[in-house]
Amino acid sequence: MSRAQRWILGGLLVAVAAGVIALAGASPLAGFAALVRGALGGERQISETLVQTTALLFPALAVAFAFRAGLFNIGAEGQLIVGGLFAGVAGSALPGPGFVTIPLILAAGAAGGGAWGAIAGALRARFGGSEVIATLMLNIVAALLANYLVAGPLHPAGVAGAETAPLPVSSWLPVLLPGTRLTIALVIALALAAGLAFVFARTVFGYTLRAAGEAPQAAARAGIDLRRTALVAMSLSGAIAGLGGATLVAGVLHRFNVALSPGYGFIAIAVALVGGLDPVRIVAAAFAFGILQSGSLSMQALAHVPKDAVAFVEGLAIVGLSARRIAASAARAD
Amino acid sequence: MGDAAGFLQLTLVKAAPLIFAALAGVVCERAGILNIALEGGLTVGAFAAVAMSYATGSPLAGVAAGILAGAMLAGLLGIAATRFNVDQIVAGTGLNLLAAGGTAFGVAVIFGAPGASPEVHALGPRGEAILIAVALALAAVLQLGLDRTPWGLRLRACGENPRAVLSAGLDPRRIRIVATLMGGGLAGLGGVFLSLGELDLYSDGMTAGRGFIALAAVIFGRWTPLSACGTAVAFGALSALQFVLQRSGVPSELMQALPYVAALAALTGIAGRARAPAADGVPFDAG
Repeated sequence: MSRAQRWILGGLLVAVAAGVIALAGASPLAGFAALVRGALGGERQISETLVQTTALLFPALAVAFAFRAGLFNIGAEGQLIVGGLFAGVAGSALPGPGFVTIPLILAAGAAGGGAWGAIAGALRARFGGSEVIATLMLNIVAALLANYLVAGPLHPAGVAGAETAPLPVSSWLPVLLPGTRLTIALVIALALAAGLAFVFARTVFGYTLRAAGEAPQAAARAGIDLRRTALVAMSLSGAIAGLGGATLVAGVLHRFNVALSPGYGFIAIAVALVGGLDPVRIVAAAFAFGILQSGSLSMQALAHVPKDAVAFVEGLAIVGLSARRIAASAARAD
Repeated sequence: MGDAAGFLQLTLVKAAPLIFAALAGVVCERAGILNIALEGGLTVGAFAAVAMSYATGSPLAGVAAGILAGAMLAGLLGIAATRFNVDQIVAGTGLNLLAAGGTAFGVAVIFGAPGASPEVHALGPRGEAILIAVALALAAVLQLGLDRTPWGLRLRACGENPRAVLSAGLDPRRIRIVATLMGGGLAGLGGVFLSLGELDLYSDGMTAGRGFIALAAVIFGRWTPLSACGTAVAFGALSALQFVLQRSGVPSELMQALPYVAALAALTGIAGRARAPAADGVPFDAG
């Protein structure tokens, strides 16, 4: 998509958003103002926006990682949930000082998400099954399975809802700003983005992934094992999303339940595409979508525009952005 | 015996929206458009039907509105896919999000309270039965249409080899758009069944993943209308079984997960090679 087309799309989206706000009976300017004030109006608002930015950044990096390798991971949502489940189960069971338990909880989340991603990767690698269908199905299976486990076999005594027991305070992620929910999860996400940028630009592994995504036939001829790449890429992509789920558990909710994510894994697709699948630009995109997420609530409270208007515009943005040619379409041919 | 009849009836009620959505998926995919926004189609269909019935008091007008809404949503996909060669998977994901957000927004704005609509004039038991019969009949009609008519041949050709369609002097993009509109209308009708057939209101999230179950039925039914319909009925029976087994201790989440797991299993080829149309989801570039 050219620069001019991006501006046209952006303008169209703003116009649609204005129209939607007007439909709700508010003045578009007042709606936008409420949104911006709710997202950036003070230290508390900005920190909450950064919490949402972080929550979106992990699955967006996961999506980008897989897309760059030519794999449509539509399953970040499910991988995030399974990662959160693993983290919640580990975190509520593990006693001990945070410097021991927190790394273990995060590792459990990455392992859970990675395993969930690996299922789709294995189906693709072993049977040539579409990872799109697999991840779509796995999203729903993840939510059902996680809910079953925390409501049934893993349900802790003395907890009312379908969720794990709370994590001990020592296992909570350290906060960056006292009195807010902003934790070191943001630092981890930013470091991950930088790390992925390096991997893609400077390492043989990153080159292999990009080659498999952009020119699968040439890559295969050059000796790259496409099946193995598919399995590895889907597993790592799932691990990134699962890590995000773990940071939500250890940093925001301090327990696991399936309401963990209001669809971060789907909005993440928009974030990844707005960021052009480039880890550094994805950080900026995640901040922009973080503003939308956290501002939508104040738009609802102050301007009486239902917060779902944001999801509508985000969906439209994804449709618009799908015009970007993604290498994975070419990868179908293998 | 009364129990068996009751079970069959419940099966058909649970299957009907799945049949509509699965047929929608078959029509789109056989024409070469991978429509993963069946869930969105059901959602907008269910919502528009209730909104129209609320506004006019006529459930029949609601049916028309539901079909139209489904067709419009899919039309976005069709135009994006044929005129802008977008990635259909990404676009479909966006449409699902758009449908969920747009309807939740619409519920809050039109009915004044978020979450659900009030009860509206619905189709009633007779209307429900008619829609079930329509779903089953459509499966047979589409099977014949795809297999035996020039329209079906052209549509299938678009899904396998659009260039050949162009060589024959036809416009594959046009055929694809029409197929997508048709599919969208079918998905919308599935949504109508949910909100005005089975129930008499709309509530957020009421489609509950049925669009994805339908996608599973398409794959399991190997992209043919009758098999997809049969799979949808089987999934409907599973769903009906949940009500029967409710108090037997079988976890309902695991029962609900079965259709999705079946779709995953189909990807391994254990049910025979599941082969999608060759040009399914592949943009057609005339240049």
